[in-house]
Amino acid sequence: MNPLGEKYLRKDFLPFLFCPGCGDGMIVQSFLQAVEDLGCRENLAMTAGIGCSAWIAVYIHADVLKVLHGRAIPAAIGLKATQPSRTVVTFTGDGDCLAIGGNHLLHAARRNIDMTVVVVNNQLYAMTGGQVAPSTKVGSKTQTTPYGNVEKPLDGCKVAAAAGATLVSRWSTAHPRQLIRAFKNALTHKGFAFVEVMSQCPVQTGRYLLGSGSPQFNFQWLKDNCVAVKDTSQRDEVEAQGKIPLGDFLQVEKPEFMEEVRRMNERVKEAKAKGGER
Amino acid sequence: MGNEACAEAALLAGCRFFAGYPITPATEILEVMSRRLPLVDGLCLQMEDEIAAVVAMVGASWGGAKSMTATSGPGFCLMQEGIGLAVAVEAPCVIVNVQRGGPASGQSTSTAQGDFYQARYGSNGDYSIIVLCPSTAQEMFDHTVKAFNLSERFRVPVIILSDEVVGHIREKVCIPDADQLAFAPRKAPTVPPEEFVPFKPDADGVPFMPAFNTGYRIPVISQAKSLSGNRGNAREADENIRRIVAKIEDHLDEFADVQVYGDPKAETAFVTFGSVCRAARSAVDMGREQGLALRSVEVKTVWPFPDTLVRKALAGAKRIVVMEMNLGMLQREVERVIRQPKIKIELFSKIGGIYPQPQEFLRFLEEKR
Amino acid sequence: MKGAERIEIDRRYCKGCMLCQYVCQFDVYEQGQERSALDYLMPRPARIENCRVCGLCESHCPDMCLTVVAQMNRKEKR
Repeated sequence: MNPLGEKYLRKDFLPFLFCPGCGDGMIVQSFLQAVEDLGCRENLAMTAGIGCSAWIAVYIHADVLKVLHGRAIPAAIGLKATQPSRTVVTFTGDGDCLAIGGNHLLHAARRNIDMTVVVVNNQLYAMTGGQVAPSTKVGSKTQTTPYGNVEKPLDGCKVAAAAGATLVSRWSTAHPRQLIRAFKNALTHKGFAFVEVMSQCPVQTGRYLLGSGSPQFNFQWLKDNCVAVKDTSQRDEVEAQGKIPLGDFLQVEKPEFMEEVRRMNERVKEAKAKGGER
Repeated sequence: MGNEACAEAALLAGCRFFAGYPITPATEILEVMSRRLPLVDGLCLQMEDEIAAVVAMVGASWGGAKSMTATSGPGFCLMQEGIGLAVAVEAPCVIVNVQRGGPASGQSTSTAQGDFYQARYGSNGDYSIIVLCPSTAQEMFDHTVKAFNLSERFRVPVIILSDEVVGHIREKVCIPDADQLAFAPRKAPTVPPEEFVPFKPDADGVPFMPAFNTGYRIPVISQAKSLSGNRGNAREADENIRRIVAKIEDHLDEFADVQVYGDPKAETAFVTFGSVCRAARSAVDMGREQGLALRSVEVKTVWPFPDTLVRKALAGAKRIVVMEMNLGMLQREVERVIRQPKIKIELFSKIGGIYPQPQEFLRFLEEKR
Repeated sequence: MKGAERIEIDRRYCKGCMLCQYVCQFDVYEQGQERSALDYLMPRPARIENCRVCGLCESHCPDMCLTVVAQMNRKEKR
């Protein structure tokens, strides 16, 4: 166990249930490095949904609420609302966040509530055995698209940005340094932060979509197919080549939800004390 | 208004988080909470749907706040997964269902009692849950206070199964001062974090509950779990599920409530719950004027079903008529509890959204004799 | 130049994915014959003298079971 693991993991829950070579453990590690660098463990309140990626949160020795499939974001809102000083982080997967939890993502982003959503994207449903997800490319053969996927994939980063997220990044498990930096940005950002992590799943994505179940092959695939970009024009270019753009796409300051609520409450109470309604 | 009384009681009981979604006939609770919670540093959120509302409520409960949501039929359907979640993670919370006609969109502005079984069995798997049925605006108030207390006491979601008539009725409600009411505290851990075992039950089967970010670093998962909070093996899952059922069922005596109105020795007995209790009371009064001895057995806590109390309240009855606004749900429970060869459990059932008149009850007794 | 004192691979948690070997730029690892507690063939830091303590293997280990311990007092020796 490396020192970060010694310090931060729930020992009695180990080993990770992740398959050999899974990216989720690498995300645990990158996230913990960010937490270590920021020293924010005591304020950390994590939520997770269902799927392999949801277990990322459970292994971290901090308060964690693992709820139903797709519902991690509303649970996080409940935690943030009851104590705004919390550093609330949600771990979800591409299916969890973009399919069943898609509506919650839109509305949490719209509110710009101060939380971080980490979306682990392995391009399909892995825990259930390799079915098509909203992030699966057209033409992919999965367990539920045996004749090839005919649905266009959804770009979580673009959706989050359009809905009002104020920080949007995408990195991959093959870019741990950038990923740690993105986590640190997200955790300290005042507002809704969306961090998508392209992650390898040798067992399902590898075998069914990419043609090999070897961890090395899948890791290399990420290196070859994920391209860091500097600006939007580059982003479009990379997408046109059928590759996945990585980068810190957006970071802006906008009024944060809980801050606005606090201001409203103060205003209302003051008016009430003076005898007015509002 | 019943719905307003419910909101008042919630505020008094210390509810500081409310998440809801507009739905007739429960919307007034959300409206009152959105007006009042900011004044007491609480937060009322209108969520994107009922699923988000119920899950946010569970999050807020683990966040340390007393929390609540309110809805009606179709929203209650959406909330079922979240109710199961609250049961599994043992999060105290209160869910109000102001019933309307169903199935599906049904009759949004009309009263009904068709969610009787859904309130108990709506989520998947084995579990037990507490369901209270008010029949007056005053009971909307009293049951809400009771619901918060029971939810904290047993760490379980408590459902207030109201209906459109009770939710919308305008009548006098006596609101006591807060110091005249008893409020159950949350069962806080008695040991420091290093000795704390997250789901180790106390003698009464209810584990201690630290709020998030109080140093306990607790893992709360929605799976069947071991005492440490990890996914349980077959034996641990078995124990976990049996415990969350037993912690309620074993303490039924603490909160079960069945009342009898009218002549407790009358040979003819109505069995009712929710708003129908009101019409039944009038029927009992009208019967008395006509020299007809009647009793109305009012089941206030419908789940877990208070078998013993219902049996006691119906002792000596020769004719039992269940009065309800569904096609015979309470009837089935009464049939299960009263097993006497000579007594047929009769059903007066009114659906379609028109509240029954007491005269109809008396006519029923006459015609079906 | 930095070097490794030792490389610890926690045999309780290693799943033998061999990503450590794959990301290593200095050819430190090879497939070993020892099995971990989870019954996977573990990597072996066969050429530890090549290690520059870049940390890539450690940060890429999906089971967080790999620790590179840098040589101490290197500066003093110089």
